[in-house]
Amino acid sequence: MTWLFPLLGFLVAALAALSRSSARRYLYAGGIALLVAFFTFPFSSAIGYLSREAVYPTPAGLLPSWAPLGLIALAGLLAVLPLAPRLQGLLGTIGGVVVLLVSYSWLAQPVFLAKIVPLPGLTEAAIAFLAGGLLFLMLRERSLALALVVGLVVAGGSFTLLNGPVGHTYFPRLEGYYKLIRPLPAEESEHLIREYNQGLAKTNALREEIGLKLLKPIESLADLEGGVPKDLAAEGVRLVRPSSLRYGTTAVLFLAGLLLASSLFLMRNPELVEAGDRVSGLTAAAVFLILVPSFYATEFSLGRLVEGWPFFVNFLDRSWPPNLADPAHNIFPLQEVASQMALTVEIALVGTFLAMLFAIPSSFLAARNLTRGSAFTRTVFTLTRAFYNIDRGIDTLILALIFVAAVGLGPFAGVLAMAIHSIADLGKLYSEAIENVERGPIEALEAVGASGTNVVRWAILPQVLPLFVAYTLYRFEINFRVSIVLGFVGAGGIGFFIQNAMASGQYDQMIIGIIAIVIVVNLIDFGSSWLRSKLV
Amino acid sequence: MIEAHDLGVTFPNGTEALKGINVKIDDGEFVAVIGLSGAGKSTFLRTLNGLVKPTQGAVRVGGVDVGRLSGRSLQRFRRTVGFIFQQFNLVTRLTALDNVLHGRLGYLPTWRGLLGLYGERDYALARTYLEEVGLADKQHVRVDALSGGQQQRVAIARAMAQEPQLVLADEPMASLDPRLSDVILGLLKDYNEAHGVTVLVNIHVLELARRYARRVLAFNQGRLVFDGPVEELTDELAEQIYAGSLEAL
Repeated sequence: MTWLFPLLGFLVAALAALSRSSARRYLYAGGIALLVAFFTFPFSSAIGYLSREAVYPTPAGLLPSWAPLGLIALAGLLAVLPLAPRLQGLLGTIGGVVVLLVSYSWLAQPVFLAKIVPLPGLTEAAIAFLAGGLLFLMLRERSLALALVVGLVVAGGSFTLLNGPVGHTYFPRLEGYYKLIRPLPAEESEHLIREYNQGLAKTNALREEIGLKLLKPIESLADLEGGVPKDLAAEGVRLVRPSSLRYGTTAVLFLAGLLLASSLFLMRNPELVEAGDRVSGLTAAAVFLILVPSFYATEFSLGRLVEGWPFFVNFLDRSWPPNLADPAHNIFPLQEVASQMALTVEIALVGTFLAMLFAIPSSFLAARNLTRGSAFTRTVFTLTRAFYNIDRGIDTLILALIFVAAVGLGPFAGVLAMAIHSIADLGKLYSEAIENVERGPIEALEAVGASGTNVVRWAILPQVLPLFVAYTLYRFEINFRVSIVLGFVGAGGIGFFIQNAMASGQYDQMIIGIIAIVIVVNLIDFGSSWLRSKLV
Repeated sequence: MIEAHDLGVTFPNGTEALKGINVKIDDGEFVAVIGLSGAGKSTFLRTLNGLVKPTQGAVRVGGVDVGRLSGRSLQRFRRTVGFIFQQFNLVTRLTALDNVLHGRLGYLPTWRGLLGLYGERDYALARTYLEEVGLADKQHVRVDALSGGQQQRVAIARAMAQEPQLVLADEPMASLDPRLSDVILGLLKDYNEAHGVTVLVNIHVLELARRYARRVLAFNQGRLVFDGPVEELTDELAEQIYAGSLEAL
């Protein structure tokens, strides 16, 4: 199935070229991403004795073992050279083909023994450089000298910290994270095989005693089950299995397809270029480089979806037709859904109302235009904004878990959690509305000699009140959806019903809850947006 | 009585909006302030009710040094000075009557203002002046439903409801149809004559200044370049006032 990845890359570039957008952009993107992947993405597995001893070397780290991998970097480098489009396309085509050939012949390499050579400080330096570089870029607009100083200080500081005992205590895997893989001479492998076969009699005697399957003598390292023996692993010896895929392999194959297709299209039509190709290519490369490991980390797999399909069908089978009521057993799920749904709406109403009650007064303290007056009001402003920012970061669900622990299971915990989280959200929206009011009426009321509070009351409040109502309605819509999920953490309502029905396998009752949610969510969204359109 | 003595305003960004202004205006005068935009007319008017603080010299209105006022005393002073803005600066979501009543806020204790508890007299005054500007039938109409000319008349009624000793109008016709200029200026002129209240109007149209004002103050790049009866403002002089500024542009 590995051919899917280059095909995907090919399709991306082909679609871009067919829609007449720049092919050179994807050529650059492929080249840049190949270079980055070459140095940073794991390309294979090298297994030790324990599973945590496994290392996943990059193509660059594997260079001492198999030099042709260097061609990947070379292809990437050639692709980013600024040459005439046709020549660029030619080099890209060759590069794409070479990368594909190199990758597939690496995958076909036999298993071999290798020693890992850690390069201490390299990862630490890379992280520190990235942090410093980012700060430099962010501050460059303000002052070049400041950016340089801050960038250097941060880079130097974080390197010393990360590469010192502090960094290695908190991040134990960071030390010597980047590793070179140096192959061991053939004698070592033969020695290992011989030793394994010699020790087999003893192992099998033991295995027979406890009734395990007997092991056969091995002929090559590929037959070796698991990894290398304990003592060898401790010396830094690993068993490299080139055929094992890591996301670096996926990325390189995808990028090779991308490079190849974009180069072919560029050769055929050198007009497919745009002015900012290199920058937009960099952006595209960043997107690929972020997405590929993310897909890998989330264990995304179409295969498993296909495998799981029958279970999904079974699930639907068991939930249809819905069991609306079963008087014989004294079960009335539809009625239960209706009352739990009402509770869910009520949680959202009370939560939003309480939040509004606290957000309205506090939002005036968080409006920059009202708090410029003195150092005291500026401090109040900063504190209120800080409270909002922290509060916004703590999700309703997390607060609900805490409140369930404090006040017990039930809707009250949900209401408290929702109210507290929504204060920040509403307060921020309200205060932005206050900041955007027209200056004119404020000035006019100051000019008639009205006091500060009267200016707020008569010049600001009439302007922001409709917005406040609109934002509150909007927050209520969100809170209703949140309150559905709140039931799952024990805060009552329709979510609680669904969880119970699911846990007891009564899918034909659960489905009523799901259908009810779909209907009510849409009703509330529709009603609230209609109301809001009337207001503003 | 307005007395400016060596009045100067320099903004925080370094712009010198006013330089060395010396002027004296008696009670009950109707004065037109002319000059190109950016000449300092607006700043001059705004120093008279404390919206802008002088950075040099002083200005006295009715014997009060406006630049020294702050807080409660500034509010007490401001309620005696009506200010009419080019952009009306009404609270458009409230009714015409509510907006005119705002002119009375300076006379109410804060708590009554907050609750909108105006007295009988406040309502009577607001209705009288709405009638005076010809909008008696619009008192319960929301301001955003009124035309531009009507909105400016509401703003004028708001200033009158303050029962001021001085009315300042900053380009009151500039956002309106030119045909409405006579309505607005006529209202101000009638008010000036009927109540004997000093009125200062910023106008950049020379023709209007000539028609309504007895006395003209002309500003050019922050300086008072002419102060005298309108008859003395010859065409040559006027040309200098405007042309000099053009060169500076």
